[in-house]
Amino acid sequence: MADEIPLSLMINGTTRALTVAPERTLLDVLREDLRATGTRRGCDQGSCGACMVLVDGEPVFSCLSLAVTLRGRAITTIEGVDAGGELHPVQRALVEHGAVQCGFCMSGIVLTAKALLERNPHPTVEEIRHALGSNVCRCSGYVKVVEAIASLGKRPGEKASSEERS
Amino acid sequence: MKYAEPETVEEGISLLAATEGARCLAGGVSLVAMMHAGQLAPEMLVSLHRIQELSAITENGEGLWLGAMVRHRTVAADTRLGGALEVVRGAAEQLAHPAIRNMATIGGSVALADPCTDLPGALVAASARVEIAGPGGRRLIPVEQLFVDRFRTCLARGELVTRLFLPRGTRGAVGHHLRFSRVSGDYPTVSISLVLAMRGDTCQEARVAVGSCGPVPLHLTEADQRLVGTRLGELEVAEAGRLLAQAAAPIDDVRGSAEYRRLLIPRLLGRALSLAREHTHG
Ligand SMILES: Cc1cc2nc3c(=O)[nH]c(=O)nc-3n(C[C@H](O)[C@H](O)[C@H](O)COP(=O)(O)OP(=O)(O)OC[C@H]3O[C@@H](n4cnc5c(N)ncnc54)[C@H](O)[C@@H]3O)c2cc1C
Ligand code: FES
Ligand code: FES
Repeated sequence: MADEIPLSLMINGTTRALTVAPERTLLDVLREDLRATGTRRGCDQGSCGACMVLVDGEPVFSCLSLAVTLRGRAITTIEGVDAGGELHPVQRALVEHGAVQCGFCMSGIVLTAKALLERNPHPTVEEIRHALGSNVCRCSGYVKVVEAIASLGKRPGEKASSEERS
Repeated sequence: MKYAEPETVEEGISLLAATEGARCLAGGVSLVAMMHAGQLAPEMLVSLHRIQELSAITENGEGLWLGAMVRHRTVAADTRLGGALEVVRGAAEQLAHPAIRNMATIGGSVALADPCTDLPGALVAASARVEIAGPGGRRLIPVEQLFVDRFRTCLARGELVTRLFLPRGTRGAVGHHLRFSRVSGDYPTVSISLVLAMRGDTCQEARVAVGSCGPVPLHLTEADQRLVGTRLGELEVAEAGRLLAQAAAPIDDVRGSAEYRRLLIPRLLGRALSLAREHTHG
């Protein structure tokens, strides 16, 4: 019941030992203590999704998650999605489709899309839009973002996404 | 701020009772957002994460018990919530965004008592009961009695919500939750939650609750009674809608003016009834 709590968190496969006040969020700890600034702070209210990380593979707002509650959970941030310096397929698809403008929302979107594709490797456009409901992008119209993600879920031989027509 | 992670309900109760200004921490979604906004600064957080009992879902002949720490996402996916209980499943499925549903809990939703959310009305329509544990033991009350005012429940110091009981209700009854929001994922401007049982073309049972239109979910026995025994014709539905709109005490906010909300109530009621009715015949 101390005010500062020693704690270890499993972040991108690495155990990090920390001491945190109980009111501090995972977002605070990532950005301020660990200097992992790929996770963005937008609203601090659960409304924008810029701070999205994966906890045990599922999208979670790091701005609303108190760090002390995450002991023993597997946390994935944007810093942990590449494989040996190669962009994650979601990141590559977003670049190839020109889906990124300022990029502020993208860490959250990449993680949300990654979780979706792991659960559902062939999502429909509707399912992609639904999953991205928690992520706000101020720059794009989402069309290219959805197209990029849909391109990864296409089965062999399937035609290009129908996003433009829908 | 102090923080504790009890492993049993009893331990949780004594922590809550011992510290003035202590609060439970469930999904943290609303609590942490309110702390960020400076609306709340609890002296102590009692995390409910490690109390296994609170995550249980159990079933018996009469209905289903949902532990307070069951997340909206789990409620939305539970196929045992059919028939009348579809009203609760549907509310959990539609509320907020996927990531909120992934974090927030049903116990947090009732304890928060935010009149603009979906679940309180759905639970009232489903005749849910809440189990509350406190220093004096446990009690089970109708969920309607839990909601006292905007963001206020009847929970006393040292008390916490342990689980909710959802009775299966009349055989053949169906539930439906209909929300109207400006954009999907936003808090509803108005929501209608209802449970309906038909015998042939005649309404045998109706229980309607309106959300976002007053300090607590609006449930009016007279409005239910206007529907029972009828064929749910236009006139009866309009009359029930009028009674609800009259009794509502909505506020003006960014999601709609009070007047607009009053206008929406009968329209949404009509739509919710016909959607529910389709299922009774389907
Ligand atoms: C951006 C956003 C959008 C949302 N949109 C909607 C929406 O459209 N519809 C909707 O219905 N809801 C919506 N919500 C609300 C969401 O459902 C709530 O956050 C949730 O109901 C609270 O659950 P929680 O588990 O996160 O509770 P917490 O935030 O942890 O707690 C909420 C309150 O309840 C108390 N508490 C929690 N559990 C218990 C317990 N077992 N016993 C006693 N007290 C307890 C806490 O002390 C606190 O005061 C939204 C929330 C956000 C942040
Ligand atoms: S910063 Fe977390 S949702 Fe906006
Ligand atoms: S690319 Fe700028 S906010 Fe999304």
